[in-house]
Amino acid sequence: MEAANETKAPNMGLASAIATGVGLIVATSCLLSLGQGSAAIGTTFIISMAIACALNIITALSMAELNALMPNLTGGLAQYTLACMGPFVSVIAMVGGYLVCNTMIASTECAMFGNTLKSVITQVNIPSSAYCIALLVVLIISNLNGVDVFAKIQDIMAYGLIISLTVMGFLGMTKLGSGTPVKQPAVLSSNFTDIASFCGLAFFLFIGCEFVIPISNKVKNARRNIPLGMILSLLIVMGMQVMLVLGFHNYVDWKQLGRSTTPHILYGSLLLGKAGVIWMAIVSIFAVTSTVNTIISSLSYIAKGMAKIKMLPKVFAKSNKKGAPYVSVLTIGGAMIVINATGLSTSSQLSFLILTGCVFWMIAYVISHCNVLILRHRLPKAPRTFKVPGGPVLPLIGMIGTVWMIYNISSNPAERTNIYLLCLIIFAALAVYAVIWIKKVMKRKLFKALPLKEVMAMENELYLTYHDNKSETGRQRKI
Amino acid sequence: MKLSRVEIITSTSKIEKLKNSIARFGISGMTVFQAMGCGVQLGTKEYEAEQNEEPSLLPKEMVMLIVPTERLNDFLEFVKKELYTGHIGDGKIFISEISNIVRVRTGEEGYDALISGKD
Repeated sequence: MEAANETKAPNMGLASAIATGVGLIVATSCLLSLGQGSAAIGTTFIISMAIACALNIITALSMAELNALMPNLTGGLAQYTLACMGPFVSVIAMVGGYLVCNTMIASTECAMFGNTLKSVITQVNIPSSAYCIALLVVLIISNLNGVDVFAKIQDIMAYGLIISLTVMGFLGMTKLGSGTPVKQPAVLSSNFTDIASFCGLAFFLFIGCEFVIPISNKVKNARRNIPLGMILSLLIVMGMQVMLVLGFHNYVDWKQLGRSTTPHILYGSLLLGKAGVIWMAIVSIFAVTSTVNTIISSLSYIAKGMAKIKMLPKVFAKSNKKGAPYVSVLTIGGAMIVINATGLSTSSQLSFLILTGCVFWMIAYVISHCNVLILRHRLPKAPRTFKVPGGPVLPLIGMIGTVWMIYNISSNPAERTNIYLLCLIIFAALAVYAVIWIKKVMKRKLFKALPLKEVMAMENELYLTYHDNKSETGRQRKI
Repeated sequence: MKLSRVEIITSTSKIEKLKNSIARFGISGMTVFQAMGCGVQLGTKEYEAEQNEEPSLLPKEMVMLIVPTERLNDFLEFVKKELYTGHIGDGKIFISEISNIVRVRTGEEGYDALISGKD
């Protein structure tokens, strides 16, 4: 039954691939970052966004090449890195850069969903965490029902979000709102140092398009639709956000925008009055639902892939009758419920932790560019259905540019230092976990890359069965 | 015109897609053999922990076709991408030169024997 599900014909098209990409890229916290960046330097924040978007497109291209060389791997970057740099780097990049970081970001998104609903529904006194938990339960159940339900929800949420933000942005940009436009300078700073210092913040607006890759075996004509889906997702998000920045300029006082913790609600209010508030609240709900849904689904598949290659306990690789990795879905969704129930996701420290998580995410991006170059050196003649054009130039630009983004993660030097410090602490903790897990459970050398054919073989459901039996046989022989 | 023989050995599950892809490339003639065989792994499945000590023959398909040598490199790139999954068992391609082809019915030789003629 399980095998039948694994070989099910692809049923998702380019539209679903774009929906998945946009769904994860656009989040409520992104709208917050957009407001903060715009309020700080004005419309020149668009230049920071363009630089960040370009770097993310290069990352998407690198990810697409890796997917072309090692197609249909559920673990994505975990498996690419395992074949290029060995298990230590792979565990650090995946556990730190993806699983922990995204579980926290999604929990924060849920908290914002709860806060938004609580601010709109004032007649009844329901705690915001109750809304978060209700949302998580619904999304966990839908994800347990497999990719078909996931795709349906994803499309509705993502396209609702795209249309709403585009319309709101267009109305603001063209001064068609019912509110009173404000007169203020479009540019607050044209100094390149200022623009550069906001690139790290802008990078967060585009992070996450690679979550399209784990569903590549469900996508029709994946060779074309996966890279195209990722690039179009980024360009669509860029277009929407440019319109919103121009809309902010026309309707929201820059200082007021900078002070607001919910700039999108403020924008909706000043653009269209009460209708705008309700509309933006709905948009936030779309954004949160779409993001959290994508994160639960994609992280579950990544966790399943990691279990296949023994980076996580093998129970995470189990699928239910609908083909959903139910242990992964329940664990990741459950962790989010616990975080929201304890109220941790509403604390100010958590937003700081998100920025720290972004640094790990960016490190994962740098590693992906390295993987491209390593595999080109090791397998120069292997057929690639997609190859990043321009030889090593673009991956190198991607690596250098992303490191530069890490340097510009915050415009505040003190905050930047604290982020680096926390990153080092998390890195140390993950390093201890990685060393123990790799030595005791995986029984591998920390930095020895695995042969490509072995990593590909690990994708098969039977790999663990055969290799566990081999270990048992070996132990019995020793006895 | 120089001609080359291309023999592609691949798994049975890929043959239908490969057949259609070859036709899409513009080659209409091909001969497909059902075969049994193994490679350097002696028929060991990629997920198995121990390699077979004796050869285990697995069902395969072999596609034989003739390509103008000037189009050979393009064709090989095309077929490699079509067959590639990154897993053991994607297949092997053998290339050899051929000296002549004869269409028995008309007596045409060389490239003329490959293409659709007037008679």
